[in-house]
Parts: sequence; structure tokens; C-alpha cells
Amino acid sequence: MIDLLTGTLSTAVLAGGVLALAALGEVLAERVGVTNLGVEGLMSLGAVIAIITVVATPDPWLGLLAATLAGAVGGMVFAFATVIVRANQVLCGLAVTFLGLGLSASVGHDYAGVPSPATFGRVPIPGLSALPVIGPAFFGQNLPVYLIYLVLPGLAHWVMFHTRHGLAMRAVGENPAAADAAGLPVTALRFWYVTLGAGLAGAAGGYLTLTYVPVWSEGLIAGRGWIALALVIFAGYRPFGATLSGLLFGLITALSFVGQARNWPIAPAFLNMLPYLGTIAFIIVPVVVWHRMRRIMAAPAALGVPYHRDVR
Amino acid sequence: MAGTLQRLPTVTPGRRLAWRAGAVVTALAITTLFLALSGRDPRLLADLVVRSTVGSRFGLEDLALFLTPLLLTGAAVTVTGRIGVWNIGAEGQFYAGAIGATAVGLYLPGPAWLVLPLMAANGIACGMGWILVPALARAYAGVNEIITTLLLNFVAGLLTTYLAVGPWHDRVTGALASTGRLPVRIPEIWGVVHWGFPIALAVVLGLAWLTTRTRWGYQITISGANEQAARYAGMKVRARILGVMLLSGGLAALAGVFEVAGTVHRLQGGLANNFGYFGIVVAVLARGSCLNVLPAALLMAFILNAGIVLQTEQLTASAVLAITGLVLFMIAIADELAHYRPVTIRAEARP
Repeated sequence: MIDLLTGTLSTAVLAGGVLALAALGEVLAERVGVTNLGVEGLMSLGAVIAIITVVATPDPWLGLLAATLAGAVGGMVFAFATVIVRANQVLCGLAVTFLGLGLSASVGHDYAGVPSPATFGRVPIPGLSALPVIGPAFFGQNLPVYLIYLVLPGLAHWVMFHTRHGLAMRAVGENPAAADAAGLPVTALRFWYVTLGAGLAGAAGGYLTLTYVPVWSEGLIAGRGWIALALVIFAGYRPFGATLSGLLFGLITALSFVGQARNWPIAPAFLNMLPYLGTIAFIIVPVVVWHRMRRIMAAPAALGVPYHRDVR
Repeated sequence: MAGTLQRLPTVTPGRRLAWRAGAVVTALAITTLFLALSGRDPRLLADLVVRSTVGSRFGLEDLALFLTPLLLTGAAVTVTGRIGVWNIGAEGQFYAGAIGATAVGLYLPGPAWLVLPLMAANGIACGMGWILVPALARAYAGVNEIITTLLLNFVAGLLTTYLAVGPWHDRVTGALASTGRLPVRIPEIWGVVHWGFPIALAVVLGLAWLTTRTRWGYQITISGANEQAARYAGMKVRARILGVMLLSGGLAALAGVFEVAGTVHRLQGGLANNFGYFGIVVAVLARGSCLNVLPAALLMAFILNAGIVLQTEQLTASAVLAITGLVLFMIAIADELAHYRPVTIRAEARP
């Protein structure tokens, strides 16, 4: 029983890390007022680039870096269209998803089914990893886990809510006209945070193929990008909210694995539906049950609206 | 004298069309460049594409078969767009419609004239059921419909595969991961083109009338343009959102009914073939007008049909998705750039 609990929690941390990282990236983009619906495509691109990189040079860190850069380049293309040209964000996001899924499948055609030659190994933290259940799950993992669950959200939270720069960033997402009048570089802030967020989405894809599913196949991302987008809403656009909801959904995913491994009398197809159905329930139920949630969890006021200085 | 750009609040249709044509040409030029770089002769490919789409009878028949579901999924996304809602779940509602139709087709014996309408009715009901929760959540709680409708696509895909390889699996041949062949089929009118094609055309024309010439359509347009104003004018905005989304789910489901009962004849995983997602592209091209769905779906059907031909030339199916993404991306940019006009400012006009 203890083994089962430990295994479930370990899987949850890994599966959730992918979602948490992508969701954190999207939090950054949406806080400056840009909805990037291309996460699914960017993750796919990151996943395949990571595999291709480690096949060439078997260093997982290089793979993760390449995946991040691939995501960031895709993000720059998206940011050019949505922030500089100011085209419709929904359309450009869908286009990036199509492009990312299509390109990664074309590029990865020769790599389909090739197992990743290098993955992140476990680095147990002495002492802590000996704790029952939570020890192996939280302190016996690979190094990027700490980056995803502690360092990155901590950094994002500190910058966002405890620095002047963070105030500027949030102002751009809430009221770009006022931010502009105060002398803040609206376009630059939006462009770079969208790029950074897309880089994290690429990294999330790379993290997936370098740890948890170490083999490329078409359709590998399987809606994780869209779940990450939903988690941003559920997380109330907060960095640690994104991390925690990522972990929660990792648990739901792990649960469906446990069900399959232990032959629960439910068809695997239905267990596989759990993360999707769970996400839908989690974004609908809170606003229905508790109306004040709508204000606490409200989206940045200028989310999805392109900013034109000359149009009031 | 100094040159600058002025942003126009509205764009004339001719101007937009010109920019969009430029966008499609640019996207195709980039694609051609990529093909040439990967060592293929673009002229040979172009020749092949023309011959196997509009240049032969078989090509035209295939084009009509692609057009049928695209007209309906395109219309499904277009009608919700009129009230400011994105239905990204046409793919899932397509599956729901196919499942509903297959259930009746497989397990209700009877003459075709009776079973086919029942299949359609059940399929449409299933599609409406599939969008019901996102529609209620959007209309009455303001929950983002893009994500809820989209996530249900994955659920529908899993359910379809489960039914096709599980309880509804073909026990006669046993080998295919699909249900048995449906005992009834939509009759053909021209080669492999079945009655679903003219019906889809009629449905789109009917929608064009419904959305632009009726009180209901007027209320949808106003609610989409300015929800506050619509509410002050006494329109039931929430009921309209719910109604439009249900209609949309039914339309996408009808595409699934036609696909399973007219084209594929059995339920199998991957049946929807991204038609739901390509419906979004059609709707974007159509810009909220149901009449425009006709040329938009034609362009999309042409791209898909050309993609099938290119697959015989060692291009993967996913390359088509990438090309579609590129076309969509270029159009999104062109739509915005069409708003700008170069103007010259005289020195004395400057403050």
C-alpha cells in the first residue's frame, strides 16, 4: 500500500511538472495581456527538438536548453504577429498550434519510436529522500523537478509581486493605455514575456520527452498544452497557483495509471479521460459554487486585447 | 513631408480580399520554397495537385467529399462566432454525432428511409448533448468556452476509439479496429458523392437566411456586437448564447453523421480527421458570414485534397496541418495589416 502511494505520488510529480512548467509560462504571457493558445504546438516542438538534440549529443540539459530555445523562437514568431503587428490572438494561437503540431511531426518523422538516449536521472537529496512516501516522491527526483516546483515559480512570484518591474508587467496586462502614459514600454514588455512564456512551454515539452515519456511519437502532447491553458485560469493567474494545480493534475493522471496497473474494473479509455474531464470540472465548479471566486481569480483586464496607442 | 501609417477603423471588403489573397499566396510560396529545399520539384507537384483535384472527375468527387463535412463544421464555428463565442469543440461534436448515428445504424433494424433520419436525429441530439455543459457554463457562469469545448474533443476521441475496438467492435472480420459496416447508407448521387453534400449546401444557405434575415439572427448579431446594449433592449442574451451553441453542436454532429453514414460507413478511431479543427479555419476565412462559408470551405477542401495527393509523394499527413497553420497565420496578419494606410503629413499640420 505504501509502495503504491509512493509510486503514485512520484508519477504525479513528474506528470504534473510538465503541466506546471507550461502553465507557468502561460501565466507570464497572460499577465502582460496576451493569450497564447499555441502552447500545445510549442510543447510539441520542444518535445521533438529535445529528442533530436540528445540523439546528437546525449546530454539532457542540452536537450532541455534546445527545447526552450525552440519554444522561444516559436514564441517570437507568435509575439511578432500578436504584439508588433497586433493581429488577432486567438487566430495566431491556433495557427501556432497547427504549425507546431505539423512541423514537429514532419521533423520528428525519422525519430518516431526512437527511445531518448539521455534522460534526467534521479538525484536523491540525502536525508530528506529517506522520508516515507513523500521522500522519494519529492526529494528523490531529477534536478529539473526542483527548478519547476520551487525555483522558477518562486522567482516569478518574487518578480511579479515584490519588484517595481513586476508592477510594470502587471500594469501592462491590466491597463496598457495607463501603463503607456506612465512611460512603460508596453510593446517590449509584452513581446519579451510572451517569448519567455513560450520558451517555458517548449521546455515543458522537452521535459516530457527527457523524463516521463522518453520517446517521440506523433500526438505525444495529447492535449497537455490545452490542459495547461485551463490550469492558468484555475490558478488565478498566479505562479504558485500554476505549480500546485499542475501537481493536482499530475495526481489525476497518476491515478489513471494506477487504475490500469491494478486492473480496476474500468476500461483504460475512461481512466484516460479523467484529466480532461477533471480540468473541465475544475474550471466550471469554482465559479458556480462560489461567486466571489470570479473577482479573486479574475483575468488581467486587458487580456486578449491588442494595444493601439492611437485608438482609444 | 513625413510618411506615416494611419489605422482605419473599418476595412472595405475588396481591400481585405486583396490582402488575404496576398496572404494565401505568401503561405503557398513559403511552402513551395520548403518543398524545393527538400529536393522536390514544385512544378511537378503543382501539376499533380491540379490533375488530382479540379482537373479530373475523381478529383472533383473527392473535393465534394471533403467539402461536405467542412461546410458543416465551418458553419458550426461561424454561427457561434456571430455571438462572440468560439466553439473549438467541433471535432468532439463531430465524433458525438458519428457515435449517435452509429448506435442507431447498428442496433435498430429497419428500412433505410426510416433508419437514416433517425440516425441523423440521434446524431444531432448527441452533438447538442456534447456541447451542453460548456454552453451552460458559458451562458450562465461566464466560463471560458474555448478550453471547455476543446478538452471535450479528447474525451470524444477516446470514447470513439473505445467503442470501435471495444463493445461495438466488428466481430465478423475482427481484424479492423472499427465497428462493423453499417447496414444502411446515404444514397450516392454522383460517383462517390452522396446526398450529404447537397444537404450540407442547403443547410449553409438556410443558416445564411436565418442569421441575416430573421429576428433571431438579428438578436444574435446584436448580442455579439454589444452584450450590454442587447440586454438593455430586452434581448435574452444568455438564452441566445445557449441556443447558438446548441445549434453549433448539432451542425458539427451532422457532419459526423454524414461522414459515418455516407463516406466511411463504419465508426473508427480518427474518423473526424481534424475536420472539426479545419472548420475553425473555414470560419475564420468566412468572417462570420454563413454565405462566405461556401468559398472558404472550398479553399480548405482544396488544400486537404492537395495534401492527400502530396502524401503519395512521401510528404506526411502532418505537413498538411503545418501548411494550414501557415495559411491561417498569414491571414491573421493580413487581416490586421489591411487596416493600415500610408499617409503623408505636411510640415504645417504637425504641432
